[in-house]
Amino acid sequence: MNMGIALRRPPIAPAAVVLGALMLLGFVVALIRYASGLGAISNLNDNYGWGLWISFDLLCGVALASGAFVTTSIVVLFGGERYRPLIRPAILTGFLGYLMVILALLVDLGRPERIWYLIIFWNHHSVMFEVGWCVMLYTFVLALEFSPLVFTRLGLQPPHRLIHAFIVPLAVAGATLSTLHQSSLGSLYTILPDQLDKIWYTPLLPLMFWLTAVAVGPAMVILESTISSRVFRRGLELDLLGGLARWIPFILAAYILVKFGDLAGSGELDLLVDWNLESGLFWLEVMGFAFLPMVLFSLPAVRQSNAWLLFSALLVISGVILSRFAVSLIAIGRPEFAASYVPHPLEFAVTIGIIAWGVAVFWFAARYLPLFVKHTHSPAGEQA
Amino acid sequence: MAKMAILFDAFRCTGCRGCQVACKQWNDLPAEETRNTGSYQNPPRVSADTWLVMQFREVDNGDDGLAWAFGRHACMHCVHPACVSACPVGALYKTDEGPVLYHNDRCIGCRYCMLACPFEIPTFQWNEGLFEGAEIKKCTFCIDRLSAGMEPACVHTCPSGALMFGERDELISVAEARIQEHPERYIDHVYGKDEAGGTSLLYISPVPFQELGLPELGTEPIQEKSEDIMTKATPAVLVTMLVGLSGIYWVVKRRQEMMGKKTGARGR
Amino acid sequence: MTNDWTDIKNSDCILVPGANPAENHPASMAWVNEARDKRGAKLIVVDPRFTRTAATADLYVPLRSGTDIVFLGGLMNYAIQNKLYNEEYVKYYTNALTLVNTDFEGPADLDGLFSGYDAEKRAYDTTTWQYQTEKQTVTVTETDPDTGEEVTVEKEVSVIKQATSLDDPNCVFAHLKKHYARFTPEVVEQVCGTPKDKFLQVAETFCATGAVDKSGTIMYAMGQTQHTVGTQNVRSMAMLQLLLGNIGIPGGGVNALRGESNVQGSTDMALLFHILPGYLGTPRDVDVDFAAYSRRFDTTSYWVNGPRFFTSLMKAWYGDAATKDNDYAYDYVPKITGNYSWITLFEAMYGGNIKGMVCMGQNPAVGGPNARFERKAMENLEWLVVMDLFETETASFWKGPAVQPKDIKTEVFLLPAADALEKAGSIVTSGRRSQWRPQIAAPPGEAKYDIWILTRLANALKDVYAPSSDSKDSPIIDLVWDYGDEPDVELVAREVNGYALEDVKDSSDKVLVNKGELIATFGTIASAADPGTIACGNWLFGGYFYPTDDGTGAVMPAVKRRGQKDPSPYGFYPYWGFTWPANRRIIYNRASARPDGTPWSEDKKVIWWDGDAGKWTGYDVPDFSATKAPDAKADPAKTGLGAQAGTDPFIMQSDGKGWLFAPVKLNEGPFPEHYEPLESPIENPISSVQNNPVIKLWDTDRGEDVGDNVGTADQFPIICSTYRVCEHWQAGAMSRTLPWLAECQPDMFLEIGEELAQEKGINNGDQVVVSSARGRIQMVAVVTKRWRPFTVDGKKVHQVGMPWHFGWQGVATGEVANDLTAHVGDGNTMIPEYKVFLVDVKKA
Ligand SMILES: Nc1nc2c(c(=O)[nH]1)N[C@H]1C(S)=C(S)[C@@H](COP(=O)(O)OP(=O)(O)OC[C@H]3O[C@@H](n4cnc5c(=O)[nH]c(N)nc54)[C@H](O)[C@@H]3O)O[C@H]1N2
Ligand SMILES: Nc1nc2c(c(=O)[nH]1)N[C@H]1C(S)=C(S)[C@@H](COP(=O)(O)OP(=O)(O)OC[C@H]3O[C@@H](n4cnc5c(=O)[nH]c(N)nc54)[C@H](O)[C@@H]3O)O[C@H]1N2
Ligand code: SF4
Ligand code: SF4
Ligand code: SF4
Ligand code: SF4
Ligand code: SF4
Ligand SMILES: [Mo]
Repeated sequence: MNMGIALRRPPIAPAAVVLGALMLLGFVVALIRYASGLGAISNLNDNYGWGLWISFDLLCGVALASGAFVTTSIVVLFGGERYRPLIRPAILTGFLGYLMVILALLVDLGRPERIWYLIIFWNHHSVMFEVGWCVMLYTFVLALEFSPLVFTRLGLQPPHRLIHAFIVPLAVAGATLSTLHQSSLGSLYTILPDQLDKIWYTPLLPLMFWLTAVAVGPAMVILESTISSRVFRRGLELDLLGGLARWIPFILAAYILVKFGDLAGSGELDLLVDWNLESGLFWLEVMGFAFLPMVLFSLPAVRQSNAWLLFSALLVISGVILSRFAVSLIAIGRPEFAASYVPHPLEFAVTIGIIAWGVAVFWFAARYLPLFVKHTHSPAGEQA
Repeated sequence: MAKMAILFDAFRCTGCRGCQVACKQWNDLPAEETRNTGSYQNPPRVSADTWLVMQFREVDNGDDGLAWAFGRHACMHCVHPACVSACPVGALYKTDEGPVLYHNDRCIGCRYCMLACPFEIPTFQWNEGLFEGAEIKKCTFCIDRLSAGMEPACVHTCPSGALMFGERDELISVAEARIQEHPERYIDHVYGKDEAGGTSLLYISPVPFQELGLPELGTEPIQEKSEDIMTKATPAVLVTMLVGLSGIYWVVKRRQEMMGKKTGARGR
Repeated sequence: MTNDWTDIKNSDCILVPGANPAENHPASMAWVNEARDKRGAKLIVVDPRFTRTAATADLYVPLRSGTDIVFLGGLMNYAIQNKLYNEEYVKYYTNALTLVNTDFEGPADLDGLFSGYDAEKRAYDTTTWQYQTEKQTVTVTETDPDTGEEVTVEKEVSVIKQATSLDDPNCVFAHLKKHYARFTPEVVEQVCGTPKDKFLQVAETFCATGAVDKSGTIMYAMGQTQHTVGTQNVRSMAMLQLLLGNIGIPGGGVNALRGESNVQGSTDMALLFHILPGYLGTPRDVDVDFAAYSRRFDTTSYWVNGPRFFTSLMKAWYGDAATKDNDYAYDYVPKITGNYSWITLFEAMYGGNIKGMVCMGQNPAVGGPNARFERKAMENLEWLVVMDLFETETASFWKGPAVQPKDIKTEVFLLPAADALEKAGSIVTSGRRSQWRPQIAAPPGEAKYDIWILTRLANALKDVYAPSSDSKDSPIIDLVWDYGDEPDVELVAREVNGYALEDVKDSSDKVLVNKGELIATFGTIASAADPGTIACGNWLFGGYFYPTDDGTGAVMPAVKRRGQKDPSPYGFYPYWGFTWPANRRIIYNRASARPDGTPWSEDKKVIWWDGDAGKWTGYDVPDFSATKAPDAKADPAKTGLGAQAGTDPFIMQSDGKGWLFAPVKLNEGPFPEHYEPLESPIENPISSVQNNPVIKLWDTDRGEDVGDNVGTADQFPIICSTYRVCEHWQAGAMSRTLPWLAECQPDMFLEIGEELAQEKGINNGDQVVVSSARGRIQMVAVVTKRWRPFTVDGKKVHQVGMPWHFGWQGVATGEVANDLTAHVGDGNTMIPEYKVFLVDVKKA
């Protein structure tokens, strides 16, 4: 290593300073919350018991972490061997994603110290119960799926082998659990037949949430690969990503069909021309963030262009974020309460702080763990 | 004990708020710091410190004159409570006698109950930290009074006879009889008899129930869809996924193996 | 109240003009609703503002503040024109047939005035208002004062002349008809701003209770009284009820919903300057001795016993120092020389003529009219004692708005008082029912019950004067104050009830009550040979502490009873507490029977004549001589009730009749006539007399900010009214200090109609400034549909309103409404005109 170059670099990169500051801020805000209650740092109120954290950190976070189960399923279960290089970062992203969700929950829950009560007190009628259990179990599955990297790094072969023996059941469990809770995040809102705007309310919400989660999985892999290829200055697996992207249009098409079919089925198509906030959001999502990327991803030219891929992926991601916010925050509640919740800056601080922690850990993992395998098939590295 | 309920007769209610204050007094709830924002209604809504709020709405009926509608806003003690269905840990529960109650020592503070309740009832202690232990708060139907053979504090205090406590079936008959006797006074409907599968708070009113702050609800329990999903769809999806995914894997693997044999490619 | 709270349930129509019982007497609504449920009664609210009572009413009718005489007069006119009045009742039980002096002229003839007005004195010579009388010579038996023997003497007495028919042009009814003929539905609409059809709906519904088997009640309070024409407002209601035969029967009556929880009791106990306990008139300077004072009492009504009641009162106050020889210490009683009402006192205080003030349980700094002026007046006090539960605005008037504490020399003493629940005693409800309340909690800190404080004060005063031999100090030295050192309230109750100082005998020497025992009824004082053998603090409460059956056989002081037995179908509950007089639930109940003594209707019967037993019987204690037959003739030779006939139910009136026409007692005329409030946006449409011609106007500091300026419509075009809200109590010390109530109504507010708000660019929740000729205050605007403009005399006028509960102390604070009100009072009672004054409203 060239000592001269190393010396010229500042001991701590400015990015790291910013990251550290954000992490610290998030941490301090969380401490205030624990000392003085949620009211001290958030604008959550009795009209809006769920705010930014549920909409973004939980709903979007879980959806955006779906890359892990989608990729794992493709590789392990559906025989998509050639995508194997994507699997490790996807699992790490997913795992971190879920850890971040749990971190956010530890801030958002009124009684975070009791989060484990889910294990001992059961109410199997509660969607929340399902979400809780699936998230717990799936995080555990992810941890197992991720653990070989650590074992490899530490040179521990026996546990590595043990996990490896279960790789298929783990993938089956992961996909099952993910399907269940990705969808049941949507089911959470099926208990709001009267409070959620009609254009957004449907008993098919779980299906919609699942479909969008499946669609956004590859999109997230595209995003994450693009970013890490730049940050870590490694080559981009453009062909692999393009291959993944091929599947997205089918899912988006299914989604669009379900959306319109559902409205048609319940005879509520006329809501589409109400031209209010809710229908506006609907059109924006369906046209801008489902139909448009569907078209784009189906074009080979797009799939072969790094920039177009990224753009299209971002569209899908935005669509998921928009739909989650619409269902959980915007198209919900009584109009007279609408003005009563605007996220407090410190709520953003928590969200950003958690993301900062996630990024830091990812960066750390990327540096110290064998995260990225060469694009060429290498017998040694392929089994993660 | 039979299923207990409260009948609120909006025709008789004078909006005196005796009930609202009695609730605070009996339950020892602190006062909130409020401001007059152009209405008699205060505190603006139910909260952890206020479990019952009388709502004030002015309704212009044109030539028929003016109505000043006083609506009671407190837990409805639903027959099929959405909040109970929603609570992942069973902290909220429905008693046989009617009241929907809360185990504060079980609650994890997820606030899904707040979301689920169609009447916007459960509220949260936003300003309690980890050490005080924030809780969900709402009307308890004065369970402590009930178990001592007394009627709820709000009912007890009502000077005009607008509130009545009794067995749900009987109160429904009382309500229907009042409507029948004075059809000119009331809208021909007992709110809560069937709404959302029925509630333990029953309303009769001279003005549309929305003017009392009540949502328009169907007759099926709020949680019907989500419980269907939980009890029917989820197990089905679970089994389908496990079987389906394993099946796919098996098929894919067989094909790969066959192809592998043919091509002689490595495979483990 | 002529009737009781529970009795409202017996009504067929409940008229609420100028009260807001849902907010201010919430418990009454239970009875209102019962009447509506069980009898199909209608509830009618007549109020300038749509109140919470209006919200629950069957019919709400708006009227401009200060015009009830026209409205009620319109109702009377309607009843007369449509012959809906109870003719038999009117003929026998009222003075309708009584002939009036032929010189009498009324506002119909004299453009708003009655005959006899003296503009300079702002007073009437009432000669022309008197009844026509004729002289009759009668033979009377009298006791010769010197020899003590009975002698028969010839005497000339004047007997009131009666017409034979209601059509006689000189009878009261003819005058009444003529007077009210002016108040047509059109005039009601023109003056009150009440739409004609709405008025007619009220007229039709309420006047239907003129039927003999129906009764209508009137629940009224400050909306009627707090006007420069307050007394005449109240009279209008009484007259309407007389016409409809609604007085003396269940579900009828004129029912004043009294204010403070024991204001009825305190009025009974004479917390007013012009009366002594039991409504005995206060001696005036012209009543030079007891004999002169005694002549003030009617001799042809039950008041003939007035001097006897006075005598036993003096015995209660002065004991042995009150003797027959010294006129029962008549000279000890201070004589009044004029008006000592609130407004007068504060004017005097402002003038520097009052040195000190003791404020026991009141808060004039907030509650008094033109409160800023009154606070200014208080600055002239050398000392001020406030006995209260809280440090009120009065106790802290030196911290009030725009006051520099250092400029104020008044020494203020705050004596912490125990509240109602922290001491035992009796209180009297509006229904005249007294109930004993035990102490249920110890007073906090150094707080003491009022009698304890007063006892200290009395004893200290007595100590100061003890050495004096000056006769002017005797009233204090001789005052009996024997309730103990830790005063025992039961001893006070005993004295109020009345007890025998020595054996009480009747004229035939029969012992009525043994020495030391309580009297069972004030009748004992009336029939005692010597009323001076009894000490009675208030004749009306005679028997209230007397050991009585509670209906279950248990015997206890009547006032402590809680017996729930009710022999009547009406909810009289005679075994619960004690209702003065004589535990009677409906006064004037003789009128519940026809002149012949049979009930008007099965449904409304209270007492009736039992010919066989030779007495009145029924569900209530007869308000009549129990054995006087319906056909008994009035005997002009007799005094007292003997001078009245068996058909004269109003035994406290000199002629035994209900007065449709008041020849005496009212300053501004025998009939109520409409005058505009002191401040009004229009000219009186009825006559050229703008204001009540007999009200007293002060001109303290006219032109200066704080004085009694009169606002005019050009500067202050909007009518304003002050009132209460359910959530607060009065001047606010008792509710604004209570967080639970403060949170319900946290701020001072102005209720303003949508139209006016829009005109003024005011949005709901904005801060606004309201100004009158006396001051300006700021508050939150509550823009509401419940105030609507009136069309009066062809002009659109707006009215706004505000609560008067706010001040600077306590949890919920706000500016003082009374900084805007005028220092002017009613022509008879001097109750301030809180309900109408002119303001302007601006966005702050
Ligand atoms: N909650 C509560 N209850 C109280 C009190 C309290 O402070 N708070 N105070 C007690 C006391 S001391 C009293 S005296 C009573 C008073 O009891 P109320 O007389 O009922 O009290 P207010 O609200 O002053 O006035 C009654 C109504 O008169 C209307 N009004 C104003 N001007 C006129 C008019 O010219 N004509 C007619 N027809 N109506 C008019 C007002 O709009 C108001 O609605 O309440 C007693 N009860
Ligand atoms: N603008 C306007 N002004 C009004 C009126 C209106 O309608 N409009 N209404 C008028 C009417 S009707 C009334 S009655 C007056 C009332 O005027 P106030 O009598 O001056 O008003 P309150 O606030 O009732 O004052 C009673 C005080 O007694 C104290 N207190 C309570 N219990 C006890 C006790 O046992 N012992 C002692 N020592 N103190 C006690 C309370 O704390 C309170 O401060 O206001 C009048 N002022
Ligand atoms: S009203 Fe809401 S909180 Fe009350 S029982 Fe029903 S769902 Fe639960
Ligand atoms: S906040 Fe508590 S009571 Fe409400 S759903 Fe969550 S765990 Fe149950
Ligand atoms: S039942 Fe009890 S807790 Fe519920 S609103 Fe009434 S007083 Fe309050
Ligand atoms: S106490 Fe009765 S009358 Fe008063 S607001 Fe409550 S329900 Fe209505
Ligand atoms: S405030 Fe007191 S006196 Fe008045 S209605 Fe209520 S309980 Fe009765
Ligand atoms: Mo009063």
